[in-house]
Amino acid sequence: MSFGTPAALWALLAVPVLVVLYLLRVRRREYVVSSVLLWVRSQPSWAAFRPSRRIERSLLLLLQIVAAAGLAAALAQPALLGWTAGSGDVVLVLDGSMSMRARDVPPTRFDRARAEARDVLARLGPGHRAALVLAAAHPLVLVPPTADRGRLEAALAQAQPWDVAGDVRGAVDLAAQLVPGGRGRILVWTDAARSSVPAFPNVTARVLGTADDNTGLVALRVLRDGETVQALVRITNFGRAAVRAPLRVTRDGAAVYGTTLALAAGETRTVVFPVSAPQTGAGVLRAQLDVRDALPDDKTAEALLAPAPLPSVLLVGPDDPPLERLLRVAPVSRAEVTRETDPAAWRGYDVVILDRVTTGAVPPGRYLAIGTVPPNLPANPSGVVDAPDIATWDRRDPVLRFVDFGDVHVRRALRLAPESGHVLAAGPSPLLWAYEGRGLRAIVLAFGLADSDLPQHVAFPVLVVNSLAWLGGDAGGLQAGQTLEVPAAGSDRAVLLRPDGTRIGVPARDGVFSFALPRAGVYRLMTPAGERAVSVSVGSEAAGLIAPGGACGAGESCAGGAASQSPVQRVLARLALWPWLVLGAVAVALGEWALATRRHGGDA
Amino acid sequence: MASDRPLPEPVSPPAVRPAAEGPTPAAPRDQAGLLDPAFLQRLEALSLVSRRRVRGRQHGERRSLVRGRGIEFDDYRAYEPGDDYRYIDWNIASRLDRLFVKLFSEEEDLDIRLLVDTSRSMAAGVPSKLLLAKQLAAAIGYIGLVNLDRVEVGVFSSGPGPRLSRLRGRGRAFDLLRFLDGIVPEGTTDLGVALRRTLDESPRRGLLVVISDLLDPLGYEDGLLRTRHHGMQTFVIHVLAEDELAPRLSGELRLIDAETGRAVEVTVDADALRAYAEARDAYLEGVQQFCFRHGIDYLRTTSTVPADSLVLRYLRQGGLVR
Repeated sequence: MSFGTPAALWALLAVPVLVVLYLLRVRRREYVVSSVLLWVRSQPSWAAFRPSRRIERSLLLLLQIVAAAGLAAALAQPALLGWTAGSGDVVLVLDGSMSMRARDVPPTRFDRARAEARDVLARLGPGHRAALVLAAAHPLVLVPPTADRGRLEAALAQAQPWDVAGDVRGAVDLAAQLVPGGRGRILVWTDAARSSVPAFPNVTARVLGTADDNTGLVALRVLRDGETVQALVRITNFGRAAVRAPLRVTRDGAAVYGTTLALAAGETRTVVFPVSAPQTGAGVLRAQLDVRDALPDDKTAEALLAPAPLPSVLLVGPDDPPLERLLRVAPVSRAEVTRETDPAAWRGYDVVILDRVTTGAVPPGRYLAIGTVPPNLPANPSGVVDAPDIATWDRRDPVLRFVDFGDVHVRRALRLAPESGHVLAAGPSPLLWAYEGRGLRAIVLAFGLADSDLPQHVAFPVLVVNSLAWLGGDAGGLQAGQTLEVPAAGSDRAVLLRPDGTRIGVPARDGVFSFALPRAGVYRLMTPAGERAVSVSVGSEAAGLIAPGGACGAGESCAGGAASQSPVQRVLARLALWPWLVLGAVAVALGEWALATRRHGGDA
Repeated sequence: MASDRPLPEPVSPPAVRPAAEGPTPAAPRDQAGLLDPAFLQRLEALSLVSRRRVRGRQHGERRSLVRGRGIEFDDYRAYEPGDDYRYIDWNIASRLDRLFVKLFSEEEDLDIRLLVDTSRSMAAGVPSKLLLAKQLAAAIGYIGLVNLDRVEVGVFSSGPGPRLSRLRGRGRAFDLLRFLDGIVPEGTTDLGVALRRTLDESPRRGLLVVISDLLDPLGYEDGLLRTRHHGMQTFVIHVLAEDELAPRLSGELRLIDAETGRAVEVTVDADALRAYAEARDAYLEGVQQFCFRHGIDYLRTTSTVPADSLVLRYLRQGGLVR
């Protein structure tokens, strides 16, 4: 049921007015009886003298109310909605941004979207198929096109927004691929706060949200500089009014910092404060904003004071003093040296460094190969290259962050011929190559340390540490929406404790525990080898932007604003009810008139 | 002894009444002669029954409280000095050696008093309650006259009205009928005051027939009790209209009392009519029980029951006439 002009429903106020007029109108017929004695004696046992009884018992008034209500309802142009045959498949796209948790649309924008999507599913005919896409950090097809309502309902019930700025455009693009040729409808529920909805002909968007007031924590980081530890807190006022935001920071429940920030509209403030020596070490730093607005979910942030160490490392190969020295000082959890080339002896380590050893095919795991290439990696060397010059390297890659190969000289290197993977540094041939696949994550350095002066440069420890961090699953700078992979180190199963307190089992696949990070906060992965905690920040500093339709441009289909109609109502076929209501009201009015006339001028 | 008989056979209700402003005026029958000759002829064969011995002023056709000179044997008692020797039963004296005198009931005339309620409420009904009341009074009075009883007829509303007394003999029947024919409804009902004054003015015992609808806001009990205290044989004929038993009303009404002008606003629907019926039944049961407890004969009827049927059938069954 929908209404073309809902404002016309105000005309229903005519009904109480009618009742009041009915009560006020003096319209009792006078009738002379021989005596009112018996009427008075019957008074205590019934309520004939109560004015409201006239309403209760007046059929004519009831008919008048029905007629008035029918006419008022007809003015609102009600219509029944139905799914038309031949409409094709329908793809439901739900914005999974953090802003969809805003409660300006009760209970939340996302819950409202979910309810309306459920309504769409309920109206689909038996032969219609539907798909469900979540616009999270990247588009996710939760359910491909199917006629299985139960599966769709279940996926819809489990869907939750992430602490990210959802990729609505990507999700709509993905949805368009699910209904090729435009033979279907794409229904989008979003707040369009950061990303507009592409104006495809078959896309119908519902923009949810009414409020734009939100002040939130956009970053909480722990900065280490030698022995000193500092905390960085960043707060942004996304609203259009100035706010005062009391900030309180605790470490394992004990207050370590507090202040009140006065933030102008749109202002971002960064607060840095030291975490004193006795308070350093392990623990969870928790920042909390005491601000009440439409989005409560970004008022707290957590960070680990002691980030997870680099993985445990097994060095396989002959003596390599520079590397061994580095491993002794590097922040790895454990480092051992062995000459055993049997992979069975490598179990229990997160990363294995193969240093100039020839091995057979290596089992799934994480490897840093130096001057050698396991045969099951798709980069078989085809000889050697003498004195290759490191001409280029990818400075943006996390493995090469802060690495400068400018003065590094190499005497001899393997001539790698990678079939896939990613070349990180190259001269006449690839010199540093990274690969992920087949259960393997590997970095191959095409030359031995002894064949270069790399150990004499600062790039050496930085490269090794970066490589170990990437191989071991970089736990630094994690953001919601990313996927974290942690070496299983021989374990088959782990338990993940998520920020919301829920626990899930995580099976090891191809030697790693892999899990998504939809929410910001501290995750704890518990394996037989121990516990590993990582802190995850909000996926985007713009995730707290909740102004509905803020990203809509002219001509885009996200128009409609906070009070826009549900997409259901706009794509479903409409069966106008108002003519029937008018006919019914007229019929009732005629009936009332006829009845009143038959009463010989009584109640009419 | 009060009569415990059902209401007369219900008669077919009149057609649905149009929304007139009050009860329908009296039908043309009201203006016709009270009793037709054939009915009068049938009444001549009847006589009024006195359930108790009454003391009249003249010899009549009733057993009197005065024993002695009559012809109807009543009892024996021991002879006392001064008794008339003529009444000593010598047969008993010869057998028992003791003197007993025979007692006879003296036959005296019966004092019949007819009281007709002429309050405005009696105008209700089709035909009107008052017409039936006048017809009943005429019939009972006529029976009394032809039986040489002393007949007095009076009307009352809020107090005693005109009265026609000292009627005796068939020759006064015309006076009786003319008096009744001239009665018109007026005033309010106050049975207590009316009966008190009537009895004060004429305290002789006898048969008192009260014809009324008993719709007295002040109650009927005091007046009727007073008649019993005066030793009257009281017979109440309770006349009601069909509309009073089953009102044909509905909707939003302002009911106005025909006598007092009091108005009540009611919403008449099924529930209201049900409550009215309960109040009506309680009221009628109360009247009947009251009369039963106090030895008052009671007959309830509606104005639609013909007078001849009432007299020839129900008053006979009720023991007022024979």
